[in-house]
Amino acid sequence: MLNAIVIDDEQYAREELIELLHETKQVQVIQQAENAIEGLQLINKYKPDIIFLDIQMPQITGIEMLSMLNTDTMPKVVFSTAYDQYAVKAFEENAFDYLLKPVDPARLQKTVERLVKSTQQPNYDVITLTHLEHVPCIGHNRILIIATKDIEFAHSGLSGVYINTGQQEATSQLTLKILEEKTPMIRCHRQYLVNLKAIKEIQLLDNGLAEIMTNSGQTLPVSRRYLKRLKQNLGIL
Amino acid sequence: MELIPSLLQQMCVYLVFAYLLSKTPIFMPLLNISSRWEHKFSCYLIFSIFCIMGSYFGLQYEDAIANTRAIGAVMGGLFGGPIVGLAVGMTGGIHRYFMGGFTDVACAISTSVEGLIGGLLHVYLLRKNKINYLFKPQVIFLITLFAELTQMAIILVVAEPYQQAYDLVTTVAIPMILANTIGAVLFMSIIEDRKSIYEKYSTTFSQRALRIADRSVGILNQGLNTESAQTIVRIIHEETNVGAIAITDTKNILAFIGIGEQHHHANVPISSSIQQAIDENRIIDLNTTADTYQCKVNRRCRLGTAIILPLRNGDNKVVGTIKLYEARRKLLSNINVSMAEGIAQLLSSQILLGHYQQQQTLLTQAELKLLHAQVNPHFLFNALTTISAVTRREPEKARILIQHLSQFFRKNLKQNIESVSLREELSHVNAYLTIEQARLTNRLRVSVDIDPALMDIKLPTFTLQPLIENAIKHGISTMLSAGKLEIYSHKTTEGTRIVVTDNAGTFVKNKEESTGLGLKIVDKRLVNHFNERSSLQITTTKNKLTQVSFLLPTTATTNTLTTNKEN
Repeated sequence: MLNAIVIDDEQYAREELIELLHETKQVQVIQQAENAIEGLQLINKYKPDIIFLDIQMPQITGIEMLSMLNTDTMPKVVFSTAYDQYAVKAFEENAFDYLLKPVDPARLQKTVERLVKSTQQPNYDVITLTHLEHVPCIGHNRILIIATKDIEFAHSGLSGVYINTGQQEATSQLTLKILEEKTPMIRCHRQYLVNLKAIKEIQLLDNGLAEIMTNSGQTLPVSRRYLKRLKQNLGIL
Repeated sequence: MELIPSLLQQMCVYLVFAYLLSKTPIFMPLLNISSRWEHKFSCYLIFSIFCIMGSYFGLQYEDAIANTRAIGAVMGGLFGGPIVGLAVGMTGGIHRYFMGGFTDVACAISTSVEGLIGGLLHVYLLRKNKINYLFKPQVIFLITLFAELTQMAIILVVAEPYQQAYDLVTTVAIPMILANTIGAVLFMSIIEDRKSIYEKYSTTFSQRALRIADRSVGILNQGLNTESAQTIVRIIHEETNVGAIAITDTKNILAFIGIGEQHHHANVPISSSIQQAIDENRIIDLNTTADTYQCKVNRRCRLGTAIILPLRNGDNKVVGTIKLYEARRKLLSNINVSMAEGIAQLLSSQILLGHYQQQQTLLTQAELKLLHAQVNPHFLFNALTTISAVTRREPEKARILIQHLSQFFRKNLKQNIESVSLREELSHVNAYLTIEQARLTNRLRVSVDIDPALMDIKLPTFTLQPLIENAIKHGISTMLSAGKLEIYSHKTTEGTRIVVTDNAGTFVKNKEESTGLGLKIVDKRLVNHFNERSSLQITTTKNKLTQVSFLLPTTATTNTLTTNKEN
C-alpha cells in the first residue's frame, strides 16, 4: 500500500480523486491539502510516497510547490490538471505521470499500477523553477507569501527555518538548502543565509570570524568556512 | 490674287474675336467632346455665331462674298457631330441666302454640306476611337480643304449662270481655301491652348487634393484628437501653402501651424467665431469687408483673413472645425477656399470612416470574445470535473449543475445580438456563478442585490459576465482565504451604477493580457451603447478590494420605466 497526499484547491476534485484512489485498493490517501502551502507542510510532516498535485492553485502553483521540495526527499508526483495544454506537453515529454480531470478511473488504475511497480525516482528538475519569486511562510495564525527580494536573511532554528524580512520573522517549510539553491541568498554560516543586498556592514572579528549587520540592524554570525566566499561574493577579496 | 491678303486680314479679325471669346466660360463646353445634348446645343450656338460672322467678315466680290464661313460650319460638325454640323451649316447657309447675290442658293447648300462633312469626320473618328485626331492641325487642314473644294464644286454646279460662277470660282477659290484652312487650323489651336491650360490647372488642383487625401488616409481612424489633428494640419500646410491652419474639436484648438505659431497655441479654448461655426453648422468666411479676422491674442499678428469650416461626423453633427488663415493684405485665393471645402469634406468623411471602422473593430472583437467564451476550455473542464465529483455524492445537485451549465452555454451561443436586458444578463451570470460556486465551494460567497426596476434596461451583450468572470478568475480563485463577490445597484444623481466587487484586490491596471482586453471591450461597448459617462470605473485597494462599476444613465432608466407602464 502506497501512502499518498492529494493536493488540489477544489474540494470536489479532491474528494473525487480520493474516492477513486480508494477504489484501487493500492493507494491510501493519508492527508489532503487545499493549497500548496498546506501541501508543503503535510509533505514535510508525513513524507508520503506519492503526491497527487494540481497545477492551478492559488498563490503558489503546483510547479512552484514542487520547486520548493528537496530532491532527496522528493515523493513521486502525479500531476493533475483540468486544462493546461502547456503543462501536459511538458509531462508527456518527460514521461511524468499525470491525470486529466475529470479523472478516468481506468487511466488512474494504470497510473497506480505503474507507481507500484516502479522503483526509480523521476527527476523533476526540468519542470521546476530555478528561481523562487516568493516564499510561503506561516506566521501567527496566518499564511504569508514573502517576495524573495524582501528577505534579509534566513536561518534554521529549533522548530524549523525562519525567514526574516527585517520587519517580521516567519517559519517556512523550505529548507536552507533549497533557499540557497533557488534564491539569491548566500550562506554565511551553517545555519544562516543572507541576502547580499541586505548587508549594511561586516565586522571582522578575531580568529577568522565575522558578524554581519543587516539594513534593519540585526546581526548575523559569519563562520570561518563561509567568510571567504562571502567576501568573494561582495567583490572585496 | 489681291483678294488673298485682304481675306487673310479678315480672317485675322475673325480669329481675334475667337480668341477673346475663348477667354470666357462660353468656350468651356468646347474643351471636351461629349454626347450630352447641352454640349451639342452650345456647340451649335457658338459655331452658328462664327458661321454667320464668317459671312459678315467676308469681302464683297462681284455680287458674291469671299468669306470664312466654312470655318464655323466645319468646326461645328467636328465638335458636335453630323446633326450639329448640318444645323450650323444650314443656319449659316440660310443667313447667307438672305444676303442675296447670284450664289445665294449655292452658298446655302455648300455651307450645310461643309457642316455635314465636319460631322461625318466626327462620327468616323469616334467609331475608330481616334477622337483625339480632331485636334490635330493636319486633320483640320485637310478636312477644311476638302470642304472648301466641295463648296467650289457646288458653286460651279448650282450657281447660274455657269460662266459667271466659273469666273468667280477661279478668282476666289485660292484665297478662300487658304483663309479657311489656315483659319480653321488657327481656331483649333486657340481651343487647343485653352484646353491644355485648363487641364494643367485642374491636374495640379486635383493632384494636390489627391496628395492630401492620400497622406491623410487612416490618420483620423482613432477620431479627432491632438495627435491626429497635428499630423493633418502639417500635411495640409505643406500641400496648400496657406498662411496658417488650425483644427479644433468642439471645445479646444487641437493643432495650429503656420504664421503666428508663436502666439497661437494648441489646447486653448476655441474663439467665438469658431463656436459660431459649430453652433450654426456652417462655413464662416472672415474674408469679407464687413467681417474680417483679427487675432485676439496678439495685435501685431500678421494673419488677416480666415475661413472656418465645420467638420461633421455621419449624423451631420459638428465634431470640430478646420480654420484656414491667410496673412493680411493677401486674400485667400479661390483655389484655397474651394480646396478648404474639399478638405473639410475629406476630413469629415475620414472621421466618419474612422468611427465606422472603430465600431466594426469593436463588433469583431466582441464577436471574437464571444466565440472565445463559447468554448472557454478552462471553465468547461473545471465545471465537468466538479460535476463529475458531485455526481457521486449528490446526484440531484449534479443534475442542477448540468442544467446551469447547459443554460450558460446556450446563452453564450444565443448572445450574438447587440444588446440584452439586464434580467437576461443576470440570469446568464447566475448560471455561471452557480457552477463556479460549486467548484470553489466555501471559497466563494456571492451576494446579488439589483433594483428590480432596472431589469428591463437594455445593455450591451456580455457586459456583466466578463466583469464577474474576471473577479473570480483573477481575483477570488487566487485567494487562500474565503472570497466574497458582490453585485449590486447603486442610485446616483446621473442614473444607477451597477457595481461588482471582490475582496481579492488583485486587479492590475494596464495589464497587457486577455483580461485587460476583455474589460477594454466591455468599456468601449458601454460607451458606445450609452455615453462617455458609462465607461467602466475600476478602483482597487491592494489585497483588499477591487470594485468595477458602470453607469446606467437616467435616460436608459426612465425609458424603461415608461415602457413598463405602457405595457
